[in-house]
Amino acid sequence: MGHVQRRLASTTAKLASSLSTAHLQKFPPKELLFAKGREIPTATIDPDTWASLQPPPPTALSAFAHRIGLSSVLNSTEAIQQICTHPSFLQLLKQHKPHEQESATNGQLAAIGNSLMGLFATEYVRATYPHLPTRVMKAAVTAHVGPLPCANVAQEMGATPLLRWHRSRGTLLKPGVLHSDALASIPRALTALVYQRRSLPSARQFVHSYFLSREVDLRGMIKFLDPKKALLEMVKKFQRELPKSRLLKETGRFSNSPVFVVGIFSGEDQLGEGFGSSLKMAEYRAAEDALLRVYLSRTPPHLVQLPSQTFPVGVGDVYRKLPEVDYKAADLVESEIMYASSGNSFTRSS
Amino acid sequence: MLGHRLVSFTRPLTRAYAPKWPRPKPGTSERPPYRPSDPLNNNPSATVTALPDENLTFIHRPPPTAPSPISYTTNPVSPLLRPPSSPSSILPPLLRPSADKSVPIRLTAVQVAEIRRLRSLDPVKWTRGRLAKKFDCTQQFVALVAATKKTTRTKLIRRRDEEHEANRGKWSEKRSLVAAISQKRRQYW
Repeated sequence: MGHVQRRLASTTAKLASSLSTAHLQKFPPKELLFAKGREIPTATIDPDTWASLQPPPPTALSAFAHRIGLSSVLNSTEAIQQICTHPSFLQLLKQHKPHEQESATNGQLAAIGNSLMGLFATEYVRATYPHLPTRVMKAAVTAHVGPLPCANVAQEMGATPLLRWHRSRGTLLKPGVLHSDALASIPRALTALVYQRRSLPSARQFVHSYFLSREVDLRGMIKFLDPKKALLEMVKKFQRELPKSRLLKETGRFSNSPVFVVGIFSGEDQLGEGFGSSLKMAEYRAAEDALLRVYLSRTPPHLVQLPSQTFPVGVGDVYRKLPEVDYKAADLVESEIMYASSGNSFTRSS
Repeated sequence: MLGHRLVSFTRPLTRAYAPKWPRPKPGTSERPPYRPSDPLNNNPSATVTALPDENLTFIHRPPPTAPSPISYTTNPVSPLLRPPSSPSSILPPLLRPSADKSVPIRLTAVQVAEIRRLRSLDPVKWTRGRLAKKFDCTQQFVALVAATKKTTRTKLIRRRDEEHEANRGKWSEKRSLVAAISQKRRQYW
């Protein structure tokens, strides 16, 4: 089976699994059986397209709301329907059912929710890893609440059969819509709805439980081109003695498998340690280790203080005056080093 | 008189060293079995906690490899996040003897002007390295103080790269392969 056939099969399977006919008023529908004015009954509409136009059963929507623990917030089927309808669906609806009333979509909610999720993820990552460089912090935020994790969480929630969307190819003016884009809009819309119907702390709790509790490996996101240069800049920033590398242990020099253990020292403090099969390699790894020790120092979970804690709990105006909240602002740390800090990717300049 | 002259050194008839062959028999006193010492005994990096009630002894000895870089801010692993310590202890030897150099003395304005003059005169002849050696400063200082214009610099670098590329073309296949392998290895550092 070629990749095209496999793609078609998976799309059909997705569509077929979503259709349940118990809640439909008229089944089988006339448009699938007969076309007016023709002797031989032929369908005017493709069955797969017809299936994608039908709304999901209200029982499935209610089950979804209860499954994710938001049954009190999503108290009506219309609200859940709105959450699961991507704006691209309207195009499909207009094409095949032009007389039907336009259903509410999650476009605006997804936009609000996306901003809120970015806010919560950024403050959490910053509070947890205060020394992380900006480019790594951005990557960490994307890893927590980016489009891919949002789509994954939507699938884990079981929103795939409830999603109503339409695939479109990207043009020069508009970006295309893929299945993962449409799925990602669901958790974002949920966040925004929780914020609107409850409060900001509730929305934050939602994002923390579904997204910020996921394991993200930061070590893979931190790459160095010249760690010795970066470490030199960092040591100067902390106003310590310049780093000097010292040989801690070695074995097998001049053999075919030497091992050197090198430590980088600032005065008498060992900043980092690395091993390697050559002196240069061990020194490189020691510099990397020294930098990682600073970057990956995290705040203990019980001491994390988030700025959004100062927002009021409960429904009402977000900016209303409150009694003093127990919040201690985090101490400012040394600013990040400028070397290799700009842009998305670092390219060596000649 | 003759008796005195007869007192001369003579080699002993038995030798005082073990000959290489026949080989010492393993498992005997000639080659006793190897009994390694317990690394937990008398270890400076081991923490021993005795619990006499349960008749137990806890010995915590973390592996001698480098610790994980992940730590809490309340007890950071990096010395940069702690106040500097000053125990006067013997440090391991420096990796390269050139690291033992002291900071070079600050150059006067006259010397700096001279550096600039020479560099602008002929950047190919008066390279950064040559000027650094002449005035006893670092190459980076020369680059900071007497940088060539961007156009000249790109031209020189391009010429140098082309020369190197031409030289690399003359290499044998084996040499190119070895160089490519070491370059690939560098990516795995």
